[in-house]
Amino acid sequence: MNRLRAANGFRLQLAMTPMIDVVFLLLVFFVCTVRFERGEAVYQLDLPARGASADPLALQDAPLQVILRAGADEQCTIELKGDGIAQSVGDFDALAMAMEKLRRRPGAADGLFESAHPILIVPTAATQWQHAVEGFNAAVRAGFQNIGFAPSADAKFQT
Amino acid sequence: MSLLYARGTARIDSNLTPLIDLAFLLIVFFILVTRMSGEQTPPINLPQPDHPAMTPARAQPRLTVNLMVEGDKTVVSLGSRRFAPGDAGQRDLTLAIAQRIRLDPALPVDVRADRSLRYAAVEPTLHAIAQAATQAGLGHLTVRVCALEVKGVAHE
Repeated sequence: MNRLRAANGFRLQLAMTPMIDVVFLLLVFFVCTVRFERGEAVYQLDLPARGASADPLALQDAPLQVILRAGADEQCTIELKGDGIAQSVGDFDALAMAMEKLRRRPGAADGLFESAHPILIVPTAATQWQHAVEGFNAAVRAGFQNIGFAPSADAKFQT
Repeated sequence: MSLLYARGTARIDSNLTPLIDLAFLLIVFFILVTRMSGEQTPPINLPQPDHPAMTPARAQPRLTVNLMVEGDKTVVSLGSRRFAPGDAGQRDLTLAIAQRIRLDPALPVDVRADRSLRYAAVEPTLHAIAQAATQAGLGHLTVRVCALEVKGVAHE
């Protein structure tokens, strides 16, 4: 006689139904809550010391400025400004190339700035964040390492 | 008597074992891929540069400041905590960041801002982060700007 069978004929069984219920509940929960995120990446940002922490005695290089002005039709005008440099560029690819030419590289005689030279991205208040980040990206592509965003005089918290 | 089974009535059983195997496999898969930190990183249309030159974000503890667009308003949150508009909100944000980075000075602060926001709406948050570093007495704070790696596909 089967050992699981009691003398009176009852059969000992594992109740599968609640387990399957729980398993399916968990499955539905995970299917509903799962979120496949797009790959995010980051830019290391060098925020300029603002106000109290700035050392007034420190000698600092004048930063090379990338001025981004909001134009018509959500476009952006780009200007490169620095020591003896005032140059308008058409798009962010051209900006990256222009900045790369300005960077001192081995074997290139025309570079003016070291990779560690401070770069300041200067968007106006109306400039889109997308364009500000594209300007930042162009500076990273050009090989600069010390890049920050300029404070904006007319910015307001959560406007 | 069944025609198929000469010895008795036909009994149709469904074999549950492969079904349960599959269900458990799916559960294990979802447990592994689900991120429980959804509140830290709400869905935001991050900027997408044309030829991205950034570093992939490593899975490490970080402090995330989110700037989202809700209707015509900009909402700033630190993790799941939202901040009120105006100077009081900015002070609270500065204080909250300073408290966290004082406990762990190596904690990077990530800025996740919607790409359609104007710089005027983002800059005060950058200012608040810089002020928090000063309040916490840190000479160096790692601040990072988040963007999407591939151009051309909308987030979420």
